[in-house]
Amino acid sequence: MLIYILRRIASAVSVVIVTLVASFGLFFVAPTDPAGTICGQRCTPERHADISASLNLDQPVAQQVGEYLKGLAVGRTYHSGGLTIECDAPCLGYSYTLGQPVTKLIGQALPVTVSIVLGGAVVYLIAGILAGIIAARRRGTYLDRLMVGTSLGINAVPYFVVALLVSLYATFLPHAGYHPLLENPFTWAAGLLAAWLTLGLANSASYTRYARASMIETLGEDYIRTARAKGISERRVVYRHGLRAAITPIATIFGLDLAFQLTGAIFTEAMFGLPGLGVLTLRAFNQYDLPVLMGGVLVGSVVLVVMNLLVDILYTILDPRVRLG
Amino acid sequence: MEPMVTEPQVLRAGDPDDGQVRSVSSTAAPVRTVSKSPTRIALARLRRDRIAMICAAICVAYVLIAIFAPLLARLEGQNATDLHQDLIDEFGFPMVGPTGEHWFGVEPRLGRDLFARWVYGARPSLIVAVAVTTITTIIGVVVGLVAGFTGGWVDRVLSWLIDLVLSLPYLLFAIASSAVLVAIFGGADGAGAEDVAQIRFISLICVLSFFGWASLARLVRGQVLSLREREFVAAAKVLGIPTRQVLFKELLPNLVAPIVVSVSLALPGYVVAEAGLTVLGAGLIEPTPSWGLTISAATTYYRADPLYLWLPVLGITILVLALSLLGDAVRDAFDPRTRR
Repeated sequence: MLIYILRRIASAVSVVIVTLVASFGLFFVAPTDPAGTICGQRCTPERHADISASLNLDQPVAQQVGEYLKGLAVGRTYHSGGLTIECDAPCLGYSYTLGQPVTKLIGQALPVTVSIVLGGAVVYLIAGILAGIIAARRRGTYLDRLMVGTSLGINAVPYFVVALLVSLYATFLPHAGYHPLLENPFTWAAGLLAAWLTLGLANSASYTRYARASMIETLGEDYIRTARAKGISERRVVYRHGLRAAITPIATIFGLDLAFQLTGAIFTEAMFGLPGLGVLTLRAFNQYDLPVLMGGVLVGSVVLVVMNLLVDILYTILDPRVRLG
Repeated sequence: MEPMVTEPQVLRAGDPDDGQVRSVSSTAAPVRTVSKSPTRIALARLRRDRIAMICAAICVAYVLIAIFAPLLARLEGQNATDLHQDLIDEFGFPMVGPTGEHWFGVEPRLGRDLFARWVYGARPSLIVAVAVTTITTIIGVVVGLVAGFTGGWVDRVLSWLIDLVLSLPYLLFAIASSAVLVAIFGGADGAGAEDVAQIRFISLICVLSFFGWASLARLVRGQVLSLREREFVAAAKVLGIPTRQVLFKELLPNLVAPIVVSVSLALPGYVVAEAGLTVLGAGLIEPTPSWGLTISAATTYYRADPLYLWLPVLGITILVLALSLLGDAVRDAFDPRTRR
């Protein structure tokens, strides 16, 4: 067990390191002129040199990588336009176009993404699992077939179309926008409601089917028959005895989905104008803001790798049948 | 070497695959045995699925629209690039609705013909989806076969590569790397709009392909790991058949089902990916006629000109719906255990 966890951690670390090196190679060593692109049409040589210096492009490659790693560990100092900017560890670079350290930009964007994803998860877990249980209990009936059919249909509609249509036509929902949770929880929830419902609606379709399949399997087990034979109420049999066992596989899928959504909430963010990690990356793409692009990709990779690692480890704890040496 | 399944014909009389035994003995038909390969059985099953057949017809219709787009536009008497500024009022809104001359009306602001742009818009969606699916399937199958069959350090390196690609944040990376790819191909500045659009098209295919092959490779590798221990592979080896032939003549035919299923589920995924990235502004760009581009332009006019928004939205949604349901049906046909 311990060896398994250590091996998984080692492979997770190797993925992060390779991502770091590969994105560095891609963004800074590629035969492009990032400084010139950021500088734009009316570029003076001084400004070009200034941007090059702020991106460390005037140094040899090995030194650039070294500086970047040093910045991550202990922070570093940037000189831009006569100003000196302190970038505290973990420093992911300095965005010339926004005039801000990348770490700060990502620090502002992450809570937005996390709020969207977690709120949406509450919606689709509750709706999806409840619908799945109902369908499983009425298996083969008209209602069951209707629910499975609807969920297949919803799943087949592209997610960005759902998000777009909700953002355009569901004007009865509170206006979407991000307000920090700690300032006013009510406005925070109201601003995110539309995004939560969209994410929840689209994902509850798949969770209905997972829950249905898992529940049907569990309700066929011997101990469920025993529980029924004891004379326990059907509600208790389903929700206490059945759901408990049926939820393990759903928890695994949920963990992986959550990881994916944290780095892929970009459609929800873009359609509802919420300034999360995806929208930050998108803006950086449009302005060719390399430090932000790289920071976004790196943070995204770390989030994904850590989440996958947690799911793998939790799974061995949740389901005692899985014992890996 | 596809394993042949011998099944008595009489059992296949009704609908044989729903797990229910129907009146087998009531008809006293003579028992004939017909050998069918699993692929043929699956295709026969698919042909009986009415929803699958409707979806397949819709998909064929889309392919025909894409192929004959110039013909359809000429039938209407318009093309996708002419600016009909005379039909646009001073605020940029079109002054005509759908007419005999412009079947779907004209675009706000630029005044290009919407029907022509719609039929041409089927092209990038299908070309990107088909190209990426082809590339990822070839790479995925080859990598999976080699990794699973060779074993040893080759397998370890390839498996690690698969894990790496699968654990990258796909959307963030797709956006970031297409920025770099466009710059590498020389589309950053100085190039004409047509060239940049072409570069974006190619870089989109590259990016989607880069992230797409790994899941199929993992699937194929797993299958090969179990297949390579089977007798027919050992026999082939003993006979001295070269490895390449063992891989592609002996092993590959046994992988038809997972590959077909993966392809049929991948196609709608890439249609969505292309349109989605394009709507976000990280995919195709003007002047390529693309549904994603029209959608993102139309969001500002959705009240004044609903047709402008809904035509591409319906175009994408119906195509993806048909492809997905067809994909589900294909999966069910090849693997009856997953029947809904």
